[in-house]
Amino acid sequence: MEPFVFFGGKGGVGKTTVSCAYALRCARDGNRTLVVSTDPAHSVTDVFDQPFDDSPQSVEGIDGLDAMQIDPEDEVTRHLDEIRQDLSEQVSASMVNEINRQLEMAHGTPGAYESALFDRFVDVMRNAEAYDRVVFDTSPTGSTLRLLGLPDLLEGWIDRLMHKRRTSIDLFEKAAVGNNEPRRVMEGDPVLARLQERRGFFEFAGSALHDDAAFFLVMNPDELSLNETRRAIDGLQEQDLSVRGLVANKLTPSPDSDENGRGARYLRERVETETERLETIRAEFRPPLVAEIGWRSSEVKGDLLDDVAAELDIETATEPPTHV
Amino acid sequence: MELADRIETFRETLEEWLRGLYHGMISHPAYEKIEKEAEDTEDAFILACFPDAFGIPSPVSYYTSELLPYLEDEFESWERRLWDRDSYIERKGQQYHF
Repeated sequence: MEPFVFFGGKGGVGKTTVSCAYALRCARDGNRTLVVSTDPAHSVTDVFDQPFDDSPQSVEGIDGLDAMQIDPEDEVTRHLDEIRQDLSEQVSASMVNEINRQLEMAHGTPGAYESALFDRFVDVMRNAEAYDRVVFDTSPTGSTLRLLGLPDLLEGWIDRLMHKRRTSIDLFEKAAVGNNEPRRVMEGDPVLARLQERRGFFEFAGSALHDDAAFFLVMNPDELSLNETRRAIDGLQEQDLSVRGLVANKLTPSPDSDENGRGARYLRERVETETERLETIRAEFRPPLVAEIGWRSSEVKGDLLDDVAAELDIETATEPPTHV
Repeated sequence: MELADRIETFRETLEEWLRGLYHGMISHPAYEKIEKEAEDTEDAFILACFPDAFGIPSPVSYYTSELLPYLEDEFESWERRLWDRDSYIERKGQQYHF
């Protein structure tokens, strides 16, 4: 299967647990695996009982498994600082303030977090030679998954920007009368170079996501989760990214048949509705249900993670990435 | 002075005047027009890069802000031009010397 595996889904359905379990399984099967989480709540830390930061660290006690946690806020700040650094080198002091205002505005826009995450994801994919498999635990559905479909759009958009820039430079060159220096020259224009660099980045992201990534959606057997999953499947389909499988998590355990107390009746009813919903999923959803994971009464970590991993019917063998 | 020399001087002066006239009336305004057009295209470019300067949130301004360090001159003159400009028609009108 593809080297990059993404787990998405509504908030709170157990994406982190499932991603960690799958990563664990890959590692146990002899793949060098990295699990990347974007959850600022640091759930990976909780699962493995070990702190992680934004560079890969090996998970204690498990061979071949590394983990890292990306904090979108830190990423945005890092990006901002990088540009500020450039700014102080390039721009005269009087203009810095002016431009700084624009810069802060750009980093306060609603899309900044997603862009930062996307950048980092692509960065990890680009530098993944050390791993056979990278498992991404994405943040709740909409934003991240939608962003994964953006490269095509952004590529086209950058093309248009570059065209505009070229046109204006060309005109400036033509407007230079006689021996006058044109105000801008095409040769070595840093803006065009920067845009070109970005374009390459999006191009890589697009092809890596299309050819080297598999997507799985985690869901709970409730109405809201079902609807959200349906939307996510459609959304990804629109971007030409297909969902490989669905994982149903937090299924209610059924009571023994001789039990008939209030609790047992409640559980029985729940199991019934959940079975119906699972039927709906099997009948109406195209991606197959690859795992049905029951509720655990305690936090999933340690041995329990192995249990969960055993319930995941997702193959672990990897192919090398086609785009490097 | 020989007649030939005087004719020669006259022709040189005439040629210079004609070139000046042509430059002032035709070619210079034309270059100016091209330059203005270039500025307009540049304005459109910067506007496309930073629509949030006008309160239009843009998911891409996160990426285009990387260009800011290289856009110092452009950014400044862009702002100045936008302040100066009363209307688009006025701006186009400036290109004609009546």
